[in-house]
Amino acid sequence: MIDIAGILMENISYVLLITLGGMLISFSVHFVPVGGAPAAMAQATGIGTGTVQLAAGAGLTGLITAGTVMQVSDSLPLIIAAGAVGAMIMMSVTMIVGTWVYVYGVGVPPASAKVKYDPITKDRQDLYVSQGTEGHGLPTVSYVSGVIGGLLGGGGGALVYYALMSAGLDTGIAMANLVGLASVFAVGIFFVNAVIPSYNIGGTIEGFHDPKFKKWPKAVFSSLIATFMCALVAVLTIGGL
Amino acid sequence: MEPLIGMGVLALMGAAATVAGASEDLESDVGSQSNPNSQVQLAPQMMYPHRIYNKAISGEPPSNALMCAVGGTVATVLMSAYNMSPVFAIAMGALIAALVHGTYSVTAFFGRPTSQKRFKQPVYLDILWSHTPVIMGYSYITTFCILVISYLMVAVLGHPFPLPLLAFIWGIAIGAVGSSTGDVHYGAEREFQSVEFGAGLNAANSGNIVRKGESGLRNGFDNSWFCAKFGGPVTGIAFGMVVFLSGWVTTVFDPARGDAIGWLSVVAGAFLVFIMILWNRKIEVAARAAYGPYKEDEVAA
Repeated sequence: MIDIAGILMENISYVLLITLGGMLISFSVHFVPVGGAPAAMAQATGIGTGTVQLAAGAGLTGLITAGTVMQVSDSLPLIIAAGAVGAMIMMSVTMIVGTWVYVYGVGVPPASAKVKYDPITKDRQDLYVSQGTEGHGLPTVSYVSGVIGGLLGGGGGALVYYALMSAGLDTGIAMANLVGLASVFAVGIFFVNAVIPSYNIGGTIEGFHDPKFKKWPKAVFSSLIATFMCALVAVLTIGGL
Repeated sequence: MEPLIGMGVLALMGAAATVAGASEDLESDVGSQSNPNSQVQLAPQMMYPHRIYNKAISGEPPSNALMCAVGGTVATVLMSAYNMSPVFAIAMGALIAALVHGTYSVTAFFGRPTSQKRFKQPVYLDILWSHTPVIMGYSYITTFCILVISYLMVAVLGHPFPLPLLAFIWGIAIGAVGSSTGDVHYGAEREFQSVEFGAGLNAANSGNIVRKGESGLRNGFDNSWFCAKFGGPVTGIAFGMVVFLSGWVTTVFDPARGDAIGWLSVVAGAFLVFIMILWNRKIEVAARAAYGPYKEDEVAA
């Protein structure tokens, strides 16, 4: 018989860490500038893909880096930073190559349709939005916002992975099995929290300067509840082995 | 591990990733997948029937993750349960994944044009017979390269994640990179070459994709031929950079040599990101000078 209450009480700090990680992931998705299908036709500002797709791609790349570091270090800040850097690199590379394609392949300057002036460079935006579009490409503010999204998402994913691994270390389970289980749960929790904010975003968001960004508390609160439930199941599964 | 061996393995992974990125993008061009396919799907409804292969099985990341996870699982089973050589196991894994992908492509192709019968969109069987093997070929190359990367990470670099999971994650990442970079070249440029270069697509032109090819009517091969000149290679560079740079920081500054070195790897990664922010800004300034502005400032006028 599994002592459910005992396992939960023993690992309550890990449940809280996982929940915090999930909330960070949910918050991070609001920073990622995605334009969905319209952006793929240079009809909207941002990267031409879906919210969940890009956030997950970046965050999971961060998870690979965090996994590498966690193998050789037990420093929580270092593991989180490694996850954040992995995700930031993936996001930056994708965005810079996206800029190549927009500028050299399609022939459009990066321009935002949501603000008149770029909050970082102070460049005029509305004059550079071509006719019949809602902006295109990645102006500096969107680029920086995407990097922040990678930082928070990668860090959040790494935190979830660290907590799941730590919850299973004392159970005596073989390391290879623990890593497999913890990483699959981490990927699952990442997807749950990448999907929740997409209801706020509704397909397109330019970054932290977009009016839709202000809706983030709703998504983060929803993620708190969803991740807490996920964390209970994950910790019970891993801690009960 | 010797740093030089680590760098050599990383270079090999980067090369495999570059090939994988290019083939992933060209697969999505010849078969028309992801966001640009919305226009291929829309065209018949706007009374523009076409001869372009129309399969969007799903978003590119889940579709590639499925391919790579199937291939990774088959390869792992062959290696661990049947003691087969890694090269054979990876080749077999990629073959099974390509067959699975081919099956999905055929069902997606039949599903989409047939649902547009009321708009008089024909189902071209010659397009199905000619394009599906090419789609499977590209998916084979992509899966093979991703499995090589995942195998090298597990067997040589000692990454703790199991091979199928690494293949799954890299499948998600390559799909995300491909749909963010190379697909824009297909969606915003190739599908709308009739529109003047140097502006985004006016929403009024949605669905009016170019249907005439360099010779005859345009099909998926023509699109992949065009995108192979720019969209495909840059997607390869993008994914190669993701794999190489994310591994480079921890190979050069190996956290196994102490936490201080580990923090150096974080600083190195952050520095790379900072350089790319500046690079993006430089391109932005040049593009604004080259293409804009599109309107006159009302205050100035």
